[in-house]
Amino acid sequence: MKIVALGMIVGGWMVTMGGLVGSEAIVVRLAAAVAGLGTSLAGIATLNSTHITQAIWNRGH
Amino acid sequence: MPTHRKSLAIAFAVLGLVALATPMRAEDEAAGTATIAASLKAISGPSTDDLTKGDPGGTLTGTVNDIVMADPKAGLTLADLANQIGQNRVAVNFVWTLVAGFLVMFMQAGFALVETGLCRAKNANHTMMMNFMVYGFGLFAYWVMGFAIQQGGSAGISNLGGMNPLNNEWKLSLFGKDWGLFGTKGFFLSGESYDVGVMVLFLFQMVFMDTATTIVTGAAAERWKFVAFAISTFFLGAITYPLFGNWAWGGGWLSQLGVNFKLGHGYCDFAGSGVVHAVGGLTALAVAMIVGPRIGKYNRDGSPNAIPGHDITMVLLGCFILAFGWFGFNPGSTLGASGNGSLRIGSIAVNTMLAGCTGSFGALLYMWIRFGKPDASMSGNGLLAGLVAITAPSGFVNTVGAVIIGFSAGVLVCLSVEFFERVLKIDDPVGATSVHGTCGLWGVLCVGLFADGRSNYGGSWNGVDGAVTGLFYGDPGQFVAQLIGVCTLVGVIFTLSYVFNAIVEYFVGQRVSAEVELEGLDLPEMGALGYPEFQLVTSSGGRSVNVGG
Repeated sequence: MKIVALGMIVGGWMVTMGGLVGSEAIVVRLAAAVAGLGTSLAGIATLNSTHITQAIWNRGH
Repeated sequence: MPTHRKSLAIAFAVLGLVALATPMRAEDEAAGTATIAASLKAISGPSTDDLTKGDPGGTLTGTVNDIVMADPKAGLTLADLANQIGQNRVAVNFVWTLVAGFLVMFMQAGFALVETGLCRAKNANHTMMMNFMVYGFGLFAYWVMGFAIQQGGSAGISNLGGMNPLNNEWKLSLFGKDWGLFGTKGFFLSGESYDVGVMVLFLFQMVFMDTATTIVTGAAAERWKFVAFAISTFFLGAITYPLFGNWAWGGGWLSQLGVNFKLGHGYCDFAGSGVVHAVGGLTALAVAMIVGPRIGKYNRDGSPNAIPGHDITMVLLGCFILAFGWFGFNPGSTLGASGNGSLRIGSIAVNTMLAGCTGSFGALLYMWIRFGKPDASMSGNGLLAGLVAITAPSGFVNTVGAVIIGFSAGVLVCLSVEFFERVLKIDDPVGATSVHGTCGLWGVLCVGLFADGRSNYGGSWNGVDGAVTGLFYGDPGQFVAQLIGVCTLVGVIFTLSYVFNAIVEYFVGQRVSAEVELEGLDLPEMGALGYPEFQLVTSSGGRSVNVGG
């Protein structure tokens, strides 16, 4: 799951870069950057959820 | 010395210079040069007799006598005059940048006080030592390789004399563009980088890097193994920070988004909301996730408990020291006070002051309305949030923009702290992720929104002519460039920090044992208590209180 989450984080950045090199239209680049940032942030949330399941307060200490 | 005679001679010299600037025939030019040479030779300063009487009025010190002549027998020449002017400009810029760097270095003391004050007394020595040693660990890593990676290809900083030895940037050619990735000159500050200008740049950039590394210690405080901290800090100072620093400040690909992709002036980060604070804040987030929350922070149902720090006076004093140091951070980032529009330092200093104050005001107001009390620690964090957010835009915005940026950051940091604590359940004892991560990213975006197009740093920025202009002043491309910078910080820098610290977790372990954490890290990790004359008592909630002296 952590690998998937990290893939989402880096994948979001690649979406942003895809918009940058794939189009000269500001709107397209802006949309790609917003979508990429959203994907990366979702990836961080996913990564964090894997840590929460192992957190010390969730393990009965 | 008759003052009128000196004035007359200087007037002749100036007239000669003006005359030289107009087109003239060769014989006129030769005659003009001879006139100037004669005029310069006629200039004389105060006599030795006059000088031996002292100069209480300050009118005899700093005259033609003090201009260095290449050949004293030949007298003062035009070349001497021009060289002296050039050296004076660079000298002013050296001194300005060095003093600003010294101020930024002192911010380490502010961070140490804030973080230690926000931690419990049983971890005071450990927290203080992390803040103390981050200076040495970071400096060493940066000297070995960090500086070269970041600035090794940044030749062309004219304020500091050109930086000509730093002339090699490693680039990748993709999609018909050059993508600068890292510098390759300046390892160990040896070879050609043994240069006066390079040394000034190194000092200034080093203390910036150290600021980023010290952010992490706050988020992971009270449970971070000292050895893991040392390894993590070295990596941040040697690789992660310098990489993004290169992309933004060292001539790397982000700074070239304007030249290569017509996005405003490329990624613009005047003093480091992104380069310093977001890099530090996102690394802090990665480490805080890996080490996990402190024992007692969360209940079994996931609800959080407050774990108050042990000394709010330390916290607020630290915030004041940081605010003072920020006057080196932002105005110093002009890398000079003379030439290339550097006189904007006044505006940058005022912007810094305003944003810090409105940041603390925003946080205080939010906490007062929401919880009924003007919270001290969040007011301090609000001050820092405003300062963090104005760091990137400080050189490009006006005072109204600074006030809006600071105030919004003050509110944002409160929302962010609650979000990380209650929703993501990430335990960050000092709020470093929110102050530096969230507000750092906000500051980066603010350049793309509030830059008013009135700054002029030598007529161009990042190789694009004209002034940096944000969305609200007519350039949407600049906002997209900033957004790409934010995506890179979140997508690449966070990942790099996370993966490296996960490797440290696997081989070394990031977190101390539960027993050590409950006892406090001071004795087990450092061998000495921060407050040996106090008896520390642990309550059921994992809180320590001082009960006697």
